[in-house]
Amino acid sequence: MNPIFSRFLRLALLAGFCAPAWSGEPNATMPEQHRALLKDHCTRCHNADRQKGRVRLDDLPFEISDVETAERWQKILNALNSGEMPPEDEDPLPNDAKTEFLDNLSNVMVAARDRLSDQGRTGTLRRLNRREYQNTLRELLGVEMPVGELPADTGSGNFDTVGSNLFMSANQFEQYLALGRHALDIAFERELMADEERYWRYELEEISEKVAKHVEWQVDAKDRAERWVAAVEAAAAKPENAEIVAKLREQVNNKEDNFRRLWAQIPGAPSPESFGFETVENNADKAHAARRAYWLPYHQYYLEQPNIDTGMYLAIPTEHQSVLENGAITWAVGWSAKTGGKWPSGNYVIRVRAALTGDGTPERRFLEFGVNPRGSQALSVHEVTGTMENPQVIEIPFYFGDTDTERADRTLYIREKGTHDHYTVTRVLKNEGAKQMEIGMGRPYAMWLDWLEMERIPDSDRETPPGLAALESFPLDEKSIEPAPPVEVVRELLEGFAMEAFRGQEPDSTYLDGLIRNYQSRLAANEHFVSAAKDSLAIILASPMFLYLTEPSPSPELRPLTDIELATRLSYFLWGAQPDSQLRELALQGELSKPDVLAAQTTRLLDDPRSRRFSDSYTYQWLGLDRLDFFQVELLKHRRFDNGTKVTARDEIYETVDYLLRENLSVRNLLRSDFVVINAALAEYYGIQGVVGDEFRKVTLPSDSPRGGLLGMAAVSLMGGNGDETSPVERGAWVLRKLLNDPPPPAPANIPQLARLSGKVLTTRERLSAHQEEAQCASCHRRIDPIGMGLENFDAVGGWRTENTYVVTDDNGKPVPGKETTWTIDPSGKLHNGPAFKDYFELRDILVLKQDDFATGIAEGLLEYALGRQIGFRDEKLVNGVVAEAKEQDYAFREFIHAIVRSEEFHTR
Amino acid sequence: MTNRRHFLRSSKALIALPFLESLGFTRFASASAGAKTPPKRLVFLGFGWGVTDESCVPDRNITGPDYELPAGLKPLEAHKADFSIVQGMWNQFSVEGHAGSTWWLSGANKFGQPGQSMHNSISADQVAAEQLGMHTRFSSLQLNHGKVDSNSGHGEGLSMAWDRNGKPVAGLDDPVQVYHRLFSNDETPIEEQKVRLAEKRSVLDTVMGNAKSMQRGLGKDDNEKLEEYFQSIRDIETRLSKEETWIGVPRPDAPISEPRGGMVGKEEVRLMYDLLVAAFQTDSTRVITYRQPSGQGYMESIGAKVHPHDMSHYHSTRGEKLAASQKRDLTNSGLLAGLIEKLKSTKEANGSRLFDNVALVYGSNIRTGHELTNSPTLLAGGGAGIKLGENIVVPNETPLCNAWLTLLHGVGVKAERHGDSTGLLKEIVA
Repeated sequence: MNPIFSRFLRLALLAGFCAPAWSGEPNATMPEQHRALLKDHCTRCHNADRQKGRVRLDDLPFEISDVETAERWQKILNALNSGEMPPEDEDPLPNDAKTEFLDNLSNVMVAARDRLSDQGRTGTLRRLNRREYQNTLRELLGVEMPVGELPADTGSGNFDTVGSNLFMSANQFEQYLALGRHALDIAFERELMADEERYWRYELEEISEKVAKHVEWQVDAKDRAERWVAAVEAAAAKPENAEIVAKLREQVNNKEDNFRRLWAQIPGAPSPESFGFETVENNADKAHAARRAYWLPYHQYYLEQPNIDTGMYLAIPTEHQSVLENGAITWAVGWSAKTGGKWPSGNYVIRVRAALTGDGTPERRFLEFGVNPRGSQALSVHEVTGTMENPQVIEIPFYFGDTDTERADRTLYIREKGTHDHYTVTRVLKNEGAKQMEIGMGRPYAMWLDWLEMERIPDSDRETPPGLAALESFPLDEKSIEPAPPVEVVRELLEGFAMEAFRGQEPDSTYLDGLIRNYQSRLAANEHFVSAAKDSLAIILASPMFLYLTEPSPSPELRPLTDIELATRLSYFLWGAQPDSQLRELALQGELSKPDVLAAQTTRLLDDPRSRRFSDSYTYQWLGLDRLDFFQVELLKHRRFDNGTKVTARDEIYETVDYLLRENLSVRNLLRSDFVVINAALAEYYGIQGVVGDEFRKVTLPSDSPRGGLLGMAAVSLMGGNGDETSPVERGAWVLRKLLNDPPPPAPANIPQLARLSGKVLTTRERLSAHQEEAQCASCHRRIDPIGMGLENFDAVGGWRTENTYVVTDDNGKPVPGKETTWTIDPSGKLHNGPAFKDYFELRDILVLKQDDFATGIAEGLLEYALGRQIGFRDEKLVNGVVAEAKEQDYAFREFIHAIVRSEEFHTR
Repeated sequence: MTNRRHFLRSSKALIALPFLESLGFTRFASASAGAKTPPKRLVFLGFGWGVTDESCVPDRNITGPDYELPAGLKPLEAHKADFSIVQGMWNQFSVEGHAGSTWWLSGANKFGQPGQSMHNSISADQVAAEQLGMHTRFSSLQLNHGKVDSNSGHGEGLSMAWDRNGKPVAGLDDPVQVYHRLFSNDETPIEEQKVRLAEKRSVLDTVMGNAKSMQRGLGKDDNEKLEEYFQSIRDIETRLSKEETWIGVPRPDAPISEPRGGMVGKEEVRLMYDLLVAAFQTDSTRVITYRQPSGQGYMESIGAKVHPHDMSHYHSTRGEKLAASQKRDLTNSGLLAGLIEKLKSTKEANGSRLFDNVALVYGSNIRTGHELTNSPTLLAGGGAGIKLGENIVVPNETPLCNAWLTLLHGVGVKAERHGDSTGLLKEIVA
């Protein structure tokens, strides 16, 4: 994450050093060549005698070794970037020299800040971060806790394992206390209900029956509305009412509906209520709506379908969910009459029997499943391959927690992918669908569903989680009528639980006294002894020995880790959770630090499914995947990239990294590979044939495919834009940061805006070329923009394109007629001080040649993640060592991890 | 442990003195505070469904002091020089056209947290309460419309306030209840209150002991890290100490008489406004929010027979829905004029007007037709150094949070930023 070597290397080369290896501390030094520029343009006013603006530059050291010097250089950088200096009546700086100066200075400043903030090579005591806390509770108690209330611990620019960035507050302490107590409630309940079976089945013809009922109601309401209208008209036609009627008609500009809304003023006109329209809102409006009954033909068409007596067809939604359910199936677990009663938390499976009708277009074969229908983002997408002759049963595993107390959070849904993303999309689907329908409205039914069931998977087979095992025979039921165990027994149980929670550390007796005191005071307040014990157990889960990972070391000298500490480090690295019994056992026997044992354990941990928590969280932070949620995709423009596709595209990144880890393949595959790891939904999006089913698997690509590697992934393209247009700058910077380990310095503030281009009809390349005019921009953009332009064949959602269009819009975002241009994309370019490329494929090949830089970035990131501290220039040897060892194995993913675990730094603190 | 507790007790005694003094034991809070500068107060009033575009928004083209009050604001004519209208602000993340209050003061993105169906962050009033609330019995006071006021257009939440974790803060919905909270002494036996506090302290002692035994053997950096934990515990101790300080401290005499129960609609708002003034006057709190009624009960109380939700869809038919919407605006403006009048006529200990030390915000996240742009905003009072008497038009899509940040600074709360703020809103600074 901190690609400090490449930066120093580049600086060193610029500064005229020849050897990339330093002995001792490297300097953040401005190259000598720039002294002339300062002399020619600055020091005449800013010298010892004339300190104009109280700035003196003639004595400015070129080596930045303290904060004060850094601040002086920062001022220069700011003044040049904002155009404040040199003043207008002085000669401007020559553009080329200025560009070089700014390029070097901005990088020197980053290096200087790194150096000045360096903490040496020791990590800090660290709190469990949010996901480790969640994982640790899961391992300890077998519960899945929602931890959204805790701070995310990301976003500091470092990985969430870096101890110095993990803070604590009073509020958070109280949250730990409450969450711990809640976790115990759930754990106890789940253990008590381990054998509990639950099953619920929904025969979906019930939904068809509702359509029939609704049609019946619509026909009747329409008739009543017609009769009410006729009655009002009749009253209005009476000669004695002519005067008032004329007045009313004039008042509403002769609009018939509005006229009838004034029925009460027409003598003899009946109320809509007397015709059965009785709601709390304006019932004349309701009558008029019923009279129109716009969707009635589509609902009647539904009733003509052949298999409504055994199931239901998924329709385009026409009515509110509470009126008609054939647009989506929703069910509120433990809420509605359908699924009444309390559903214990635990693992569930949802099954749905589904078939394709054959009436939908080929891409309409996916269902999406999720929680909270209005929350819009689905959890998963499922391909339907069954036919009407031979429907298929789709299984969806699902964890259900008892903490979801809001109805919306307990409401699950299954619906056709892409039909509920946004009402504007639904409207377009209706318009398009209407053209395929003889009745001129609605949309053909692509899928038929037979039934839906939800079943709890009992926990009977699971191993008792260690936290509960430590409580042995203690009753878990708060309604237990057994007498409370003697207080000595409770004390022992608390001690055993604390040992387990504290990862083997022993609590002292004063602490246990405190827990017992609390327990007894609760008993004295007439609390049930099980609940009283839970209160004390919750205190354990908010205690520092649980919340912090300690490696005590009173002196600053490095010392070897104990085997127990090593076990903890290893398991938090690869599982984000505490060591399991095998790992702890080996540590207690003093075996773990033996190289072959340690290597075997590393492999075991990586082979365990829990290592997915490592690969997912590492990938998320390393590649900055939070950016996927920064923007809502412009759905009307990018119709194929609906929300369900986005979910799958996001998964592709995780699945690919995990696949490399599991198969121990080279990380180079992330730069270019002849395969992708996808499922049916993504294959549909990429236009790859022959992929059936929802599981991700390796699929070999044709040789001319632009896919294969991170840059070919739709989600990566999406991050390099705003969900509507691409941003070549964003993409170029991302490649420099993530793939070439050569991040551009942070964007400076107060740069003059390039406003003169607004309103002009320009291609992307023409617009970006403006960056080259000003030195402030060119110093970074000459490195960034060519790469971004090389990726222009990928549109904002990763589709491949050869043309692009730009439309000028006015202040309200409306396109200006005639101000539009379309061009063939020219991706060719040249890396700054590097080779030229003619298209994306050549650019990709150039990146592959830079695999060593890529590998260095990965090694630095993994080290930071594993050691829980920032990696600085002192770690050069360590990083180079890991890279070298991995390179011997062709950069196989696991080699990085083995090399890190073998390294001395991983064994010392 | 004794030492720490001892220290806290004594330091608490020190910080407690000013409250006791300001409480006065005489008549009103600041009576004995003599000529001291009165404290700054902040109040947010939210009215759910928004306002009528046609008749409650001044002409955007006439900015500054010479603008004309639109019909819906006419009842405020007498105070025209003492409030400003700000146009052009919004919450960029708001997507809920039925939620005038949920994200109004926080600027949060409902779907900002992947995997979570409802997200919010701290509201501006609670940011202020963290600092201004240190000196009063109640850090802040949340007033809420009565339960009968369904379909109020405020959106999710228990009041206008959301805490630092983005969780809803409960509100008081009955004027009688508010009166007793402010002015009636706690009936719970003091001993029982003390036992509850003692239990909480015992928990803190236990974890503190664990931290101490862990501390042994830690180096300097680690110790500094663990210090955060110690500090967290001390912060809670301080809060418990504050609670303890106020146990047995009699509440101030009420400057108003006990309200009658069962009031709804207009009367309910009037009572809450009176209580609000009384709470400030006695320095019981310095931060108040009020989620005003604007639903079924309220509309009925002003004699409008349309459904409140139905009312905000008057675009196609206008008619009685528009009329109801305008009637509601007039009623609201009249009530607000009453509140401003009361704030002006209430004197502080140093003789200044309470109005001059209050920053008052009156508005909603939505306007007619569930529109989420140009959120209606009225600012009044001299507490935050805001420019008064003008129609201020800021660039469209200016974050509401910029205004909140500016107000926070104005009352002396130096937050770096708030919600999605991008900076201070200099246009509203006097």
